[in-house]
Amino acid sequence: MKTIAISGKGGTGKSTLAALIIRWLKQKEMGPILAVDADSNVNLNDLLGIQIEETVGAIREELKRSAHKLPGGMTKQEFLEYKIHASLRETRDFDLIAMGRPEGPGCYCYANNLLREILKSLSDNYKIVVIDNEAGMEHLSRRTLQKIDFLLLVSDPSVRGVRAAGKISKLLSELDTRVGKKLLVLNRVKGSIPEILDKIIDEQGLPLFSSIPEDDTLLRMDQIGKPIWKIAEDSPAYQAVHRMMSKLMERIDNGV
Amino acid sequence: MSKLIATKAIRGAHTLVKRAEEELRLAIQQKGPAAKVEFPNTGYYLPVSHGILGMDIQSLEGLQELLEEAKKLLPPLPTDKLWIPYLGNTLDAGMAALFADEIIESIKYTQDPLPYLIAANPDEEHLWIGAADDIIMRERGIEFVDGTAPGFAACVGYCPTNEMAVKIARELQEKNLYVFMSAATDGKSMAQQLREEGIQLGWDTRLVPFGDDVTATVHSLGFATRAALSFGGAQPGDYQRVLRYNKNRIFAFVLALGPVDDEKHAQAAGAINFGFPTIADTDIDQILPSGICTYEHIVSPVPLEKIVSKAIEVRGLKITITKVPIPVAYGPAFQGERIRKEDMHVELAGQLQPGFEFLTTKNMNEVEDGKIDLIGPEINDLEEGAQIPLGIWVDVAGREMQSDFEPILERQIHDFINCANGVFHMGQRDINWVRISKEAKSKDFSFRHFGTILHAKIHGEFGKIADKVQVKIYTQEKEVIELRDIARNVYKLRDDRLADMTDEAVDTFYSCTLCQSFAPNHVCIITPERSGLCGAYNWLDGKAAFRINPTGPNQPVKKGKVLDAEKGQWQDINDFVFQNSHKTLEIFNAYSIIEYPMTSCGCFECISGLLPSTNGIMSVYRDYTGMTPSGMKFSTLAGTVGGGVQTPGFIGHSKHYIGSQKFISAEGGAKRIVWMNKALKEEMAPVLEGIGKKEGVEDFIHKIADETVAITEEEVLEFISKKNHPALAMPPIF
Repeated sequence: MKTIAISGKGGTGKSTLAALIIRWLKQKEMGPILAVDADSNVNLNDLLGIQIEETVGAIREELKRSAHKLPGGMTKQEFLEYKIHASLRETRDFDLIAMGRPEGPGCYCYANNLLREILKSLSDNYKIVVIDNEAGMEHLSRRTLQKIDFLLLVSDPSVRGVRAAGKISKLLSELDTRVGKKLLVLNRVKGSIPEILDKIIDEQGLPLFSSIPEDDTLLRMDQIGKPIWKIAEDSPAYQAVHRMMSKLMERIDNGV
Repeated sequence: MSKLIATKAIRGAHTLVKRAEEELRLAIQQKGPAAKVEFPNTGYYLPVSHGILGMDIQSLEGLQELLEEAKKLLPPLPTDKLWIPYLGNTLDAGMAALFADEIIESIKYTQDPLPYLIAANPDEEHLWIGAADDIIMRERGIEFVDGTAPGFAACVGYCPTNEMAVKIARELQEKNLYVFMSAATDGKSMAQQLREEGIQLGWDTRLVPFGDDVTATVHSLGFATRAALSFGGAQPGDYQRVLRYNKNRIFAFVLALGPVDDEKHAQAAGAINFGFPTIADTDIDQILPSGICTYEHIVSPVPLEKIVSKAIEVRGLKITITKVPIPVAYGPAFQGERIRKEDMHVELAGQLQPGFEFLTTKNMNEVEDGKIDLIGPEINDLEEGAQIPLGIWVDVAGREMQSDFEPILERQIHDFINCANGVFHMGQRDINWVRISKEAKSKDFSFRHFGTILHAKIHGEFGKIADKVQVKIYTQEKEVIELRDIARNVYKLRDDRLADMTDEAVDTFYSCTLCQSFAPNHVCIITPERSGLCGAYNWLDGKAAFRINPTGPNQPVKKGKVLDAEKGQWQDINDFVFQNSHKTLEIFNAYSIIEYPMTSCGCFECISGLLPSTNGIMSVYRDYTGMTPSGMKFSTLAGTVGGGVQTPGFIGHSKHYIGSQKFISAEGGAKRIVWMNKALKEEMAPVLEGIGKKEGVEDFIHKIADETVAITEEEVLEFISKKNHPALAMPPIF
């Protein structure tokens, strides 16, 4: 099982990229795929064109609320496991789980500890797990999500964006999270990348892995609320994702 | 026991001893007293006389001495006037019969031609192979020691049909038992019946034909005696140890098939000495009360269809099934497996269909071990992607089974079923959820296999308490909903049972030393009204855990003499805590927060502590990170209260304990609570309302302060004074 996580500051198109990646993996029959929406705003499902009924966060709150009147004499572990498995949205192409809202006040150690175990054993059932992370990286720092093989840090082609991606990368190194390769992806690139940006990228110590061009198709699909999932294969953004993922898979095959 | 059966056994022993005397006289006449006597290729003399009496018989002359011993043991035949025959006499007669058997069998080996084939397996011409030699003993005896073979069935007589003989032999083989056959009746024997059906006989197949004579039955008991000498460390002549080893370690029994004459009765009496009961299919008298054997001694009549399972039950044999016989792989590695919708053939119960899982106790005669019924469609009747109801109903019978164990066993259904490759199982009780993959279906996994799994695993993991297991699988809505209602009533009763149990109603509490790994001197005493302070263990859990793992961290502790009923102090509990706290705690009060309170490991859900000026206490839940009126946050409090040290004025406890009648009852109970962190108060609202109602305190819950109104002791006092909290009117807390 390999895990690809997508992160970066808000509004850089993380979820869109995640949806395109899932689409590509499906097309190449790399599944079974588990898609994890780890953004508290929960919108990956819209991009993928499906409904979400329950989130892990809501289940966690329910557990805390009813800790000692669990149904059926269940243990907390069993309760969480059942609910999380039941919350999974299943489609022919992939399964989707939404992490939902972040923790409220109080101690979540016990619940998160259980979650960690359950999510790990769940994701072991898939060949590929794609995580759409929020900028805050709560699930990474809490380690509710297991090790990540590739972290794609998404940025718009701006100095500010690239510096933000660099900051997240440094923070993760300091937090000692279990992140394998960290790669920079520039999204919505128009024309060529200015020299100054190249220099800033070098400074971050983050290799520029891929550039996804700005694509009017995506914009139009978004405008009319059509799921990105349905994007035409020959659209420029999808073509760029195809090149990027081919490169990534090559690296996986070569064991790096 | 009946006079009839004793009379028959004693009469049979007389017949056998007389026959032995006659045959021995003839043999000495023909070959002289010094003629050599032995079972071929053995270095242990004649096993029964050697083991029981310590005799080293090597000649016909030696047999003469054994005959004298047999005669000495032989009790007189009960007269018409004796109405209460004595079990001891019957046992003596049985032993005399075995000695006579051994004399007769050993004389056979002095004859030419030999009546037995000297080999491990019969050949075409010779069916009977007589006594086991040393090589067989070494090879096979070890199987009895390491449990590969739990014991043997000594089968005497014959079955009404060959088919039945084969069925019984197969059933015994399936249980890994050896089948020792001897004693033909009217020239017919089980071994011959098996041979007629082309069944391979001999030590290799565990179907051993000893001899057609009734006296050949002694080879079974000789084998048992040898096992005690070779593997049980018993010295020759130490008959107590020989017999006790057999009773405790060799799970053997006699199956008396067909008519049972006096001589066979005498063999049965001999076997009882070893703790081996006799089960007969014909109506012979019974010896039911236990005494020598683990349970009954002689049981009859038992239909042949059920004779094996009855014998196993009476002997107290525990069946273990090492491999779960299903067509898919099985093991803990498959536990986390999710069957994706795409890969699934059928979904049972879950979010869209009704379901339940239920395990209940039945009487021994109501359960047919291994029986699996399916009521409703089987997997092959269903289209791909079908969603159907599922009810799993398990009946368990066992001499040690108690209804308290039902929930514990029932909870295991999840783990057991989940271990099958291609089967996904979630939940329990009436929220179960199962999926079976297309792949498992293609390997012929079926709904009935749920029963196969549960039967095998319950025997395997709970053999101590479960003797018989049968399973019914329901896959039709009507039955599932009907039975779910029955199950739901029981679920509720189970939940209520613990709630209603009082400390006074039991004489035993349970200890928990699970946490001694990090709090070496801490001992939890779990009572019906005080659950473990972590909230994870209650009294029933402790009881069940002990039953299942007798050397584990949950031990029964007798209360002993009541030293202080109000504070909850008992002599034997004090002694136990003293010993197990490594002599650091001498006195312990279960119901007091002030005086010698229970210690804590550190796993407590809540801490309660005295707020002296309020005449009350505060309770704080471990999730609360703010300040408490004691001037300490939970983490600081935990450091003070944990670690197995008695801290007067503070206790660690479970949330559940707050609602108990015994919550600091020595100081007046939960009425003393003047402060709780808000989340705990809200969560415990129904419990607190109950306490208020019982104590006649109106609006009790709103008289308790929380962090939104008070975080110092002074503020608490001010708040509760305003609210007229009942603690203020109670006697001084210390």
